[in-house]
Amino acid sequence: MKPSVPWRAVRLGRMAYGEALALQRRLVAARAAGALRGDIVLFVEHPPVFTTGRRGGRECLLVPEETIAARGIPIVAVERGGFITYHGPGQAVVYPILHLPQNGLGVAELVSGLEEAMIRTAADWEVAAGRDARNRGCWVGGKKIGSIGLAVRRGVSFHGLAFNVDLDLEPFSWIEPCGLAQVGVTSLARESPRPVSLPAVERALARYLGEIFGRFWERVSRGDLEKELVAWETAVEPRGGAPPPPVPSPPG
Amino acid sequence: MKPLQELSFPEELRYVESHEWVRVENGVARIGITDYAQDQLGDVVFVELPAAGKTLARGAAFGSVESVKAVSELYMPLSGRVVEANPALDSSPELVNRSPYGEGWMIRVEPSDPAELAGLLSAAEYRERLKG
Repeated sequence: MKPSVPWRAVRLGRMAYGEALALQRRLVAARAAGALRGDIVLFVEHPPVFTTGRRGGRECLLVPEETIAARGIPIVAVERGGFITYHGPGQAVVYPILHLPQNGLGVAELVSGLEEAMIRTAADWEVAAGRDARNRGCWVGGKKIGSIGLAVRRGVSFHGLAFNVDLDLEPFSWIEPCGLAQVGVTSLARESPRPVSLPAVERALARYLGEIFGRFWERVSRGDLEKELVAWETAVEPRGGAPPPPVPSPPG
Repeated sequence: MKPLQELSFPEELRYVESHEWVRVENGVARIGITDYAQDQLGDVVFVELPAAGKTLARGAAFGSVESVKAVSELYMPLSGRVVEANPALDSSPELVNRSPYGEGWMIRVEPSDPAELAGLLSAAEYRERLKG
């Protein structure tokens, strides 16, 4: 355990889901191999996309897949926990790429800490949010404001949390989120008496994650991170032939 | 999470650092995850295991467990052919928490390289690794 090593935050801004997924998978491989200088936390916002978890979730669609395709919204199956969910502009998404054993963290603790960061952030906007022991995530009076879905590969976590800041909630009505019927969703904009902004919420989430897990932050640009990744990937594949397998972009 | 001294690591089993255990019975290796692993994961709600007949190398992912919205991969402690996956875990994934060394076992494997058995950790060695 190296508590003195800061976590590095990367602000990706708006990025297509498939592109962020490919970046996460490359980071997990590099982090598990010990090739990165410590842990990385990605902050990102996605264009509209539905994703399903390891246990599936397409059966939780309440409208025909064609209806969603007609709107140009992809459905991507991924390796995280949980069922189907929606991401879209105005939602703060955080992907912690953490080496759990080196952080002395178990997955249950990580999930609980991610929930706590969302609860404290909501409180900053005068919204009383809490937990539901039966269904993890962040809740405001029976409505879901934040979701969690993680994966762990070779001790390294990826995927993460999605916190509804100010987004069109209609696409949530096309699914039964988290496999639970009749669960309402809400957003910070809807619940808070104060104005909300995605960058301010990202800063609050980062601050509370640092507090909860006892880590300092360092900023790293996407470009510098890319250089670090490519340096390792090139060293692993010295013949320069095969680049890392790209993850196909979702259709649309 | 429980302190290390409250977790159990039976002497007769062998372990790997990725937190799987192995028990060899009549030449077939029974594999599961340790008490430490189940405690770290929290309540297991879903277990994905390979079909019988699949051959996997040591260190390869053989399946996954989902707990508290997190999917964690499982790794082969030794190379071999899967002869059986625990059918009880389909409907009762909580057995992994309740009985990690008993009813919560995951797969039975025919080892393809018996020499690999010598490289597994004893209970004392595994416990030592956990102390870090």
